[in-house]
Amino acid sequence: MFLRLVADSFGRRPRHKLLTGAALALGMGVATAALSVALDVGDRLAKEFRSLGANLVVTPKADSLPLEIGGVDYRPVNAGAYLPEADLPKLKTIFWHNNIMGFAPVLEAQVKASTYPKDKLVLDYRSVPTFMPVLGTWVNHEVKLPDGGTFVTGIEKTNPWWHVEGRWFVEGNNECVIGKNFAQKNGISRSAGLLTYNLDGKPGPTLAIVGILDSGGPEDDAIVVPLSIAQELAGKPGQYRKLYVSALTKPEDAFARKDPKTMTPPEYDRWFCTPYISSIAYQIQQELPGTDVRVIRRVAEGEGQILTHVEMLLWLVSLAAMLAAALAVGASSAASVIERQVEIGLMKALGAGSGTVGFLLAAEQLLLAFVGGGVGYALGIVLARLLGEKIFGAAPEPTLLVFSVVIGLAAVVTLLGSAIPLRRASRMEPAPILRGE
Amino acid sequence: MTELRDTNRAMFWRILRRLLGANRGRLFVMLLALGAGAAVTAALLNLQVDAKRRLTTEFRAFGPNVLLVPRGSSGSSSGTLRESTIDRVPGNLPGGRVTVSSSLYLIINVSVPQSGKSVNAVVAGLNPLGIVKGSLRSSSAAASNLSEATPSSQDVCVAGAKFAQQLGAQPGTALVLTSSDRRESCRVASIRQTGGPEDNRLEIGLSAAQRLAGLADRISMVELTVPGTPGEIQTYIADLQRRLPDVDVRPIRQFTEGEAKIYSRISGLLTATVGIVLLLTALCVMAAMTNVAIERKMDVGLMKAIGGATRRVVRLFLAEAALLGLAGGLIGAALGILLSIALGKAVFGVAARPRLIVYPVAVGLTMLVAILSAFPLRRLASLRPASVFRGEA
Repeated sequence: MFLRLVADSFGRRPRHKLLTGAALALGMGVATAALSVALDVGDRLAKEFRSLGANLVVTPKADSLPLEIGGVDYRPVNAGAYLPEADLPKLKTIFWHNNIMGFAPVLEAQVKASTYPKDKLVLDYRSVPTFMPVLGTWVNHEVKLPDGGTFVTGIEKTNPWWHVEGRWFVEGNNECVIGKNFAQKNGISRSAGLLTYNLDGKPGPTLAIVGILDSGGPEDDAIVVPLSIAQELAGKPGQYRKLYVSALTKPEDAFARKDPKTMTPPEYDRWFCTPYISSIAYQIQQELPGTDVRVIRRVAEGEGQILTHVEMLLWLVSLAAMLAAALAVGASSAASVIERQVEIGLMKALGAGSGTVGFLLAAEQLLLAFVGGGVGYALGIVLARLLGEKIFGAAPEPTLLVFSVVIGLAAVVTLLGSAIPLRRASRMEPAPILRGE
Repeated sequence: MTELRDTNRAMFWRILRRLLGANRGRLFVMLLALGAGAAVTAALLNLQVDAKRRLTTEFRAFGPNVLLVPRGSSGSSSGTLRESTIDRVPGNLPGGRVTVSSSLYLIINVSVPQSGKSVNAVVAGLNPLGIVKGSLRSSSAAASNLSEATPSSQDVCVAGAKFAQQLGAQPGTALVLTSSDRRESCRVASIRQTGGPEDNRLEIGLSAAQRLAGLADRISMVELTVPGTPGEIQTYIADLQRRLPDVDVRPIRQFTEGEAKIYSRISGLLTATVGIVLLLTALCVMAAMTNVAIERKMDVGLMKAIGGATRRVVRLFLAEAALLGLAGGLIGAALGILLSIALGKAVFGVAARPRLIVYPVAVGLTMLVAILSAFPLRRLASLRPASVFRGEA
């Protein structure tokens, strides 16, 4: 009988139920879309922030004080300490190795160089008055990992704002890229080649110029070569001086700023197992002995601050959206109960108690809530996918959490919306309602 | 004739009043749905307008984004600028004030008289001293006893973390700076770690550095923090280069390019989210309102039975919907603007400025939704009053 009454109510007023259901589905669609985006946005934006480049810098611990002005080191050549290149694959063995998006070692050297047109060599290097800065680094370098895999990384990951006109050099090919200003000052075009001489005046490799670098920084005045060539020119085989690391991190909170030395063991575990920039720096330091790993505060903190604010903004937007959807849906189900006073009066006149009537209406509303909520969830997921794909090029994963929140919200809102008019209706005498008063 | 029209009009309003007042519950429900819609519309629109502007301010957390260096110099090694260059930098922009910091770099010998240690280091004369690039906060791992202060007088200096480590300097340590026959002394006010080249430097007041270098009124570089959207910053740079032809104006590409990318992502995300939420909320409110509207067969049937023309009946209900939309919109939009002020305060720490344009837009949208949702009543035009009263339809 109960089921028949419910089925009858849906059959008799299909338009009406359809509209209530539509309001529910749309409202829950809003909630789903907003929630999915808010849940997902932190990870996605953190990735976007990597277009700011490296957020960690590794230098030798025993280094002498760098005399760096405007990105140019004025230390005498060969001063200071170096780090072994062979240790670098260990970076991808730290606990948060998946969060290491890229790294690039850098070695500076000084050379004298003269150009040659492709067909005619000019061998007199003494005509070149000064030494020129050379920067050795990795580009699209394949790192063999200890677990057998490979990881492709290089300066294009840590300094994504560097643009090369032409193409980057290919490692092992005796090629180089020259800075924009360097090219302009010396009147060198991309079709030329460079003949290099190291500090002692001994001829080094002959390099073909394959691209012109525009970095907006001091690199515009330098020759950029593969790390191995810079090592050969500087006489430091297998060594580098500075390492840039770009890591995906979680914005720092008050907990992350605590000194790890003062933490209790459970706190330490939590800190170690959270991708805070400080814990990633700590883990790198453990893997690369004799190094000093510093956080590039300017990048890391600006990023953390903006990320926190944007995430919070989206959470509040989704909360406001959910609130509005809940109110509209609640109003809709309240209206559907208000209009049914005659029906309620009739049922009561025929001997149904307030409990039975309430139960019947609640069952109807819940059925609607589940159907409407389900449809709304599907709708919201599709919208969130569209949104995610359009903005970040990746869709948020549907999660069970959002589903349960949405269905629960739908049930609570419809029940609350109908409970208030229902109580009023149940207090009324059936007779006046049936008489139409 | 006019009399009849007046009576008609009076009757129209009277019926409208009664229609609204007839069922308090229904009135409340309709106002609730419309008000909620209007509130979220107003809040999101206001936030959307405000948040974009606020975001550009947030990006200034990255610190300076434009450099002025002597023309033709590679970094700052060769050549200096006149200090008066900074007077020619326009300071006010629609997005806020430009922060200017000028500096002079030299490599000189720094020693600690107490321990006799000495080292060759980069000394940066800064004006104003203590300007924060990124953050001053010393890393927790470095040392916990590092104090922080913003030095103001001439004889204090800020030591970079690596520099302090080499010299064994602590806050309070006295340092002597010597450059050929010139000497200056200063006391370390704080030690900072930024992860950048500042870690290897000692920062002193600009005039002290100029005395040490014997270069009065000269500076090697100016750093500008330019607020605004990426487009505005580009325009500013081009304009500045025209004004200062003898100086190289360089954007710090790491930040200008990164910001442009991230800004477009975030503002796209915000616009799209707000758009979807508004659309769905409008549809949701519309469905709820239509649901209420089609319940009014009895009212329509009665009006037609006593001789109301279909057009007039429909007009009545549309007027009712418009009135409801106006009331709901006014209340809701006011609430929404308050909500957005609170949201702005919670997120950015500064209350969002209420935009007047948002208010009429939100009220108008709400009225539009209310009127659109009353349109299904047209279908009731074909209703036969008799069958309504017999309870058949």
